[in-house]
Amino acid sequence: MPEVYIDGKEFEFEGKPKLLQFMLDNGLEVPFFCYHPSMSIPANCRQCMVKVGLPVKDRETGEYELDENGERVIRWFPKLQTSCNTDMSEGMVVLTQETDELVKRAQKDTLEFILANHPLDCPICDQAGECPLQIQTYKYGPEGSRFEVKKVHKPKRVKLGPRVTLDAERCINCTRCVRFTDEISQTHQLTIVSRGDKNYPITAPGREFNDPYSLNTVDICPVGALTSADFRFKARVWEMNQTPSIDISNGKGCNIDLWTRDNIVLRITPRYNEYVNDHWMPDVGREAYKIFNENRISKPQIKLDGETVKSSWNNALETFAEQIESSASDELLFVGSAHASVEENYLISKMANLLGAATPLFVPHIIEGSGDGFLLADDQAPNTSGCRLLGLQETDAEALRSKFDNAKVVILLNDNLADRKILTEDDLDKVYTVFFGTNRGHTSETADLVIPVTVAAEHAASYVNVDGRIQRTFPAKETKYANRRLNLEMSEGRLDRYGTSFDNWVTEDNKVDCMPLWNIFHDIGERLGLNLPYGSGREIMSEISDTLPSFKGVSYEKMDDLSGIQLTKETKQVKTK
Amino acid sequence: MKMTSDMAVDWKNYEPVLIPNIPDLHKIDVYEKHGGYQAFKKVLTDKKSWPEPKSVVNEVKEANIRGRGGAGFNAGLKWSFMPPADGKPRYLACNGDESEPGTFKDRKIFEYNPHVFIEGALIAAYAMQITTIYVYIRGEYGDYIKMMEKAIDDAYKKGYIGKNIFDSDYSVDFYVHSGAGAYICGEETSMLESLEGKRGYPRVKPPFPAQKGLWGRPTTINNIETLSHVVSVINKGADWFKNVGAKNHPGPILYGISGHVNRPGVYELPSGVPILDLINEVAGGIRNGKKLKAVIPGGSSVPVLRADQLDGVTMDSDSLREVGSMLGTAGMVVMDEDTDMVDMLWRITHFYHHESCGQCTPCRDGTGWLEKIMLRIKNGEGEIKDLDLLLDITTQMEGRTICALADAAAWPVRHTITRFRDEFEARCKKSIHAA
Repeated sequence: MPEVYIDGKEFEFEGKPKLLQFMLDNGLEVPFFCYHPSMSIPANCRQCMVKVGLPVKDRETGEYELDENGERVIRWFPKLQTSCNTDMSEGMVVLTQETDELVKRAQKDTLEFILANHPLDCPICDQAGECPLQIQTYKYGPEGSRFEVKKVHKPKRVKLGPRVTLDAERCINCTRCVRFTDEISQTHQLTIVSRGDKNYPITAPGREFNDPYSLNTVDICPVGALTSADFRFKARVWEMNQTPSIDISNGKGCNIDLWTRDNIVLRITPRYNEYVNDHWMPDVGREAYKIFNENRISKPQIKLDGETVKSSWNNALETFAEQIESSASDELLFVGSAHASVEENYLISKMANLLGAATPLFVPHIIEGSGDGFLLADDQAPNTSGCRLLGLQETDAEALRSKFDNAKVVILLNDNLADRKILTEDDLDKVYTVFFGTNRGHTSETADLVIPVTVAAEHAASYVNVDGRIQRTFPAKETKYANRRLNLEMSEGRLDRYGTSFDNWVTEDNKVDCMPLWNIFHDIGERLGLNLPYGSGREIMSEISDTLPSFKGVSYEKMDDLSGIQLTKETKQVKTK
Repeated sequence: MKMTSDMAVDWKNYEPVLIPNIPDLHKIDVYEKHGGYQAFKKVLTDKKSWPEPKSVVNEVKEANIRGRGGAGFNAGLKWSFMPPADGKPRYLACNGDESEPGTFKDRKIFEYNPHVFIEGALIAAYAMQITTIYVYIRGEYGDYIKMMEKAIDDAYKKGYIGKNIFDSDYSVDFYVHSGAGAYICGEETSMLESLEGKRGYPRVKPPFPAQKGLWGRPTTINNIETLSHVVSVINKGADWFKNVGAKNHPGPILYGISGHVNRPGVYELPSGVPILDLINEVAGGIRNGKKLKAVIPGGSSVPVLRADQLDGVTMDSDSLREVGSMLGTAGMVVMDEDTDMVDMLWRITHFYHHESCGQCTPCRDGTGWLEKIMLRIKNGEGEIKDLDLLLDITTQMEGRTICALADAAAWPVRHTITRFRDEFEARCKKSIHAA
């Protein structure tokens, strides 16, 4: 394999990698702004400068020329090179800021230029704390400033579109946002206008930046020039906890991070997964953070004389047990949900099985033609494939309704079938309805017994996306009965790790009074004498992988290591550049 | 080493070939009457002298026409970088953006002898088996754009451009493209972007235009004057061309002389004319009997020379390099003793600040910084330390960007300050730290 020498260390490489990406892949650091691995390379920020040389070869023999010490003679490029667009070649010698004073100086010089017209309003800037310019200035920038003249003024607080706000003064003209709309979302909605130090990105006159993927530009903006209109000024980065999760608003199952503070999800950002969503996610998936916070069912509800009242957990579970016990097995109708996790659907399936009832049904939530062939699938639910692989019986609205005639008790897993117009209030009134749900809606209002369960942001559970890839979530929010310090699945924020116990904001009202389905079923199992001894999604998944061939070999550890596991063969390539 | 006068070229007996004194030469009939389009015809039809396109490339390479756009690269050598023809489109992009302050030579060709350029471009296109020629003319040259369009229409009508020219199997198209007034579009790769209808941002090289140029196809870019010289190379031979003017930078040059001289204008003379001859004899000396103070020999971006540096210096790349300047576009700016060098430099920094495209950080923010400090010095508010800061900034800009505009903006600052430092220091206020 050909080799290169970076700062005196030897590395082997394959193929034709670009120097910067190769260094990043090998854990070396070079500052950069405009480069993005999934987009074209404009080499315009001039930050990733390194010194590059090639060994001199004798033209006739093809041997390397050696100097008097037996070392290879190196011919250095006359100018420093931007490593982002430098093709690597055999024997190349590279000096970075670690070993070369000129490189160090050049990087400092470029940062000085970038900062010359940058507002330096970090204290009020949303990007502060996760800002490549801030971080790299600390590491490689000049001390102080020699810029004593007036900075350039440009438009501020420009509403580019419904979701993105521009501060042109902060912009360093890396053109990442422009390239994103040209190359990734391909709406071509942004361009750079004006020249020199007066230029900034904006839409064509009179047009708005309503790209369905517009918020990705906020993520890739290396400064605080593009900010999310929704998240702007809501929280400082260092006050939030970042928890990996899966987008549950669409069947594509984009990998995401949930950003929480005081048990409220404040924003969602995409998490890199080369097999699913690369670095991107659709804007609708980000707005889905609201379903974790708002309109949640908290505490069980029961219908008494036509009126819905709050109930104690004990009363609710006892009522459920009574309903089951007083019905024959063929009077029970279990309905699973593509909106619930693999583990929850498995549980409901298992309970039906133990009680001798029919296999649970489920109605997929697919809106034909609503997808875009990129990161939005027609499937509106995160786990349709999971329900199929678990062997739940797929059905449609009509067939489901007809089953209501012979049923006495219907057990609905988290799926708002009334609002989806699959079931009507009349259907639900015909039977005794038990709803294990997360969010309020017509289904929860109509059901006779409502038992609140945790959402994806509150439990560790897995979902199988439209392409057959199983991926899992982590708990990001505490419920009333969960303690983040005892729950080892929960991510630690900076304040968890370094703060005092007074630093973390804890508002009890933000904790929803709900429980994971396995905890509820554990309790019900004991009341009904059924063997449902599960304490976590992890235990359920290990049973699933032992018993169901489609899930063979699946475990949380493996999902974490491999960023999800492909269960079925049908893989669709993510559209990247 | 200073050149002695007997080594200097004989410029007084030179007969111009690009802009000869022939009335109405811009009309195609007059041009034809004076031997126009015969070179192109020879190249296409005289298979004995010109057996294949490659032979034209070799002749031009041999003539050593050094690019007249400023970089001075051998045009024939540049042509030889084009990959072999593969039946798909290939382009010749003729650079008539001519935006460098002090440069106004190509407009003389557009105005007085457009057909010599058209013929030269056609020969070049044939030599490289190019299918389409674009001539990119700066938007400010509105009248000349119209004149070029007329000239190209006439040449189409006469059958010099179009399908099967002179009954050969060679066909080519020729289009005029108007710029929109951006200096940066004179940089060859941003001119390509502009031709494609995009924002004029210089491209990262490699790939070079000969591999991936216009719309990703092989493209050669030449200056208008460079292409115009091709006609006399074909008519009179490479040896004739090589023997005109300076040895390492041969051939006639259009000198554009402006500034404080009695007869400013464009003069076609051999390369290697002594600068002082150009000022005192060709351009009629400094106006109002004043003394010479400084000369910018080749457009605003090349380093300025003091009057006391000019003895024996000739207008060719070697001689100018020795005194620390460059030939550039041979657009000479002459300044008399009353010129305020601080004001002059501020005006140049203002230009580069206004014209930086803003793609690369060092140029985008460096040019603005340079101008702002210069303004401060010009207004008498600068300090001595500002001069060193200016020099520092030029070092930080030079060689760190995609194109050469950062260098073009940095050089005049560096060299004007180092060569006229007294004048700059006199304008600065005494620093409170000064003893």
